[in-house]
Amino acid sequence: MTMKPALFLLLAARLALGAEAPTQLTAAPACPHCQEGAAAVATAGAAFSKESIYQIDARFTDDSGRSFTLGELRGRPVVLDLFFASCGYACPLLVSDMQAIRAKLPAGIRDRAAFVLVSFDVARDTPAALAQYRAQRSLDGQWTLLHGDDQAVRELAALLGVKYREEADGTFSHSNIITILNEQGEIVHQRYGLKGGLDEAAAALAAAVK
Amino acid sequence: MATLLRSVRRLVPGLALAVTLAGGTLAVVEPATGARLVRIPGGVYVPLTRTTKDPAQVTVAAFRLEERPVTNAEFLAFVTANPKWRRSQVSRLFADSSYLDYWAGDLELGPRAPARSPVVRVSWFAARAYARWVGRRLPTTAEWEFAAGAGYTRPDGRNDEQLNRDLYAWLARPVPDVQPAVAVGRPNCYGLRNLHGLVWEWVDDFNNAMVTGESRGDSGLERDLFCGAGSVGAKDTTDYAAFMRVALRSSLKANNTTTALGFRCAQDAAP
Repeated sequence: MTMKPALFLLLAARLALGAEAPTQLTAAPACPHCQEGAAAVATAGAAFSKESIYQIDARFTDDSGRSFTLGELRGRPVVLDLFFASCGYACPLLVSDMQAIRAKLPAGIRDRAAFVLVSFDVARDTPAALAQYRAQRSLDGQWTLLHGDDQAVRELAALLGVKYREEADGTFSHSNIITILNEQGEIVHQRYGLKGGLDEAAAALAAAVK
Repeated sequence: MATLLRSVRRLVPGLALAVTLAGGTLAVVEPATGARLVRIPGGVYVPLTRTTKDPAQVTVAAFRLEERPVTNAEFLAFVTANPKWRRSQVSRLFADSSYLDYWAGDLELGPRAPARSPVVRVSWFAARAYARWVGRRLPTTAEWEFAAGAGYTRPDGRNDEQLNRDLYAWLARPVPDVQPAVAVGRPNCYGLRNLHGLVWEWVDDFNNAMVTGESRGDSGLERDLFCGAGSVGAKDTTDYAAFMRVALRSSLKANNTTTALGFRCAQDAAP
């Protein structure tokens, strides 16, 4: 057996990972109009935390054609899923699961939460196609449907631990993961698979909102 | 400072910059122009692992690939110019705790990281950020495998006995504590070195390799990709090394770093 030790070391490295560093603010970006290194402009708000997925600079477009960065969701708890509109099996279930999570939330939190769908299908799920999907599924203003280029979607998927690939028939094989983000954009919970776990997801979201 | 360095570097590409860092240490920032790019003609790549839904062949357009992996010295220039990618400052979201841990310090390579050896213990995010910094990108799985399928003397390396002997000799050796220098190995017919025999390499779409997980199809994929069905479906069941690459990619998360995993950059071929 000539197994390269890389795989085993990798496993060991993962086990050794241990506790994450405590949340801290990254260095504030320098104001372009001031001296380099000066404090950030107060109106721009504090930088994202080191665990925030909003640190990625990927740009998306929503289904109204507006440019969108994930950082715009800051301040709201988020239920996030990657999907594609022509998906006939898992994605409709995932959207239904997101609706079920919404129904389980306490009223005060339910109205503040954002429900976000980002499409794998960068070619077909244009903003217009996503608008059509919104209408078909009767998704209200609390839902954000996002189109991105391949680089943006791949980076977001990598952050969330979602694997996917396009098959020859134009469908996508993908992980089924619903992610809960707190108000800073930090992952507080992930629901894997298609069965159960909705109470836990709703509870994690409610707990993340202090 | 980073922005300043970058713009100076762009204006004067051949210039090495001496920079006084916060601690008073003087560091020389080599211009990061990246390794030489080799043009790889397009062709057809036959994926190793296939589900019934997979295409039998993937067409690879012509592209350009660095002739060797990125070195410690090159990566040092990158982290010097981009403080958020330094070992002490990087977010755990983007690189795990063993990121660059064989370097002597944030900006010091030390005895275990010779300048001309391949950089390892870098995450996918870090590799991608470096590639963007030099105006390049990571190769796709299909591009990397297509390039790596070449033999020493001809594009189809499947029956290149010498290549296979060298490849399996490498796989049988443990990972050395200190990696040897890049660009020493014998080049393949395109002039590319070290695709086999030095380190494993990140690819841009590593996260399309699904072996374990939770998708509707994952248990099926696992069977298709890996066990009996996968081997039977695979075009060339003797290519054990390619199975190992699929296994490695599918086991990785984008912030993982490991002891023998580096990368090289690619670029679209000029139109």
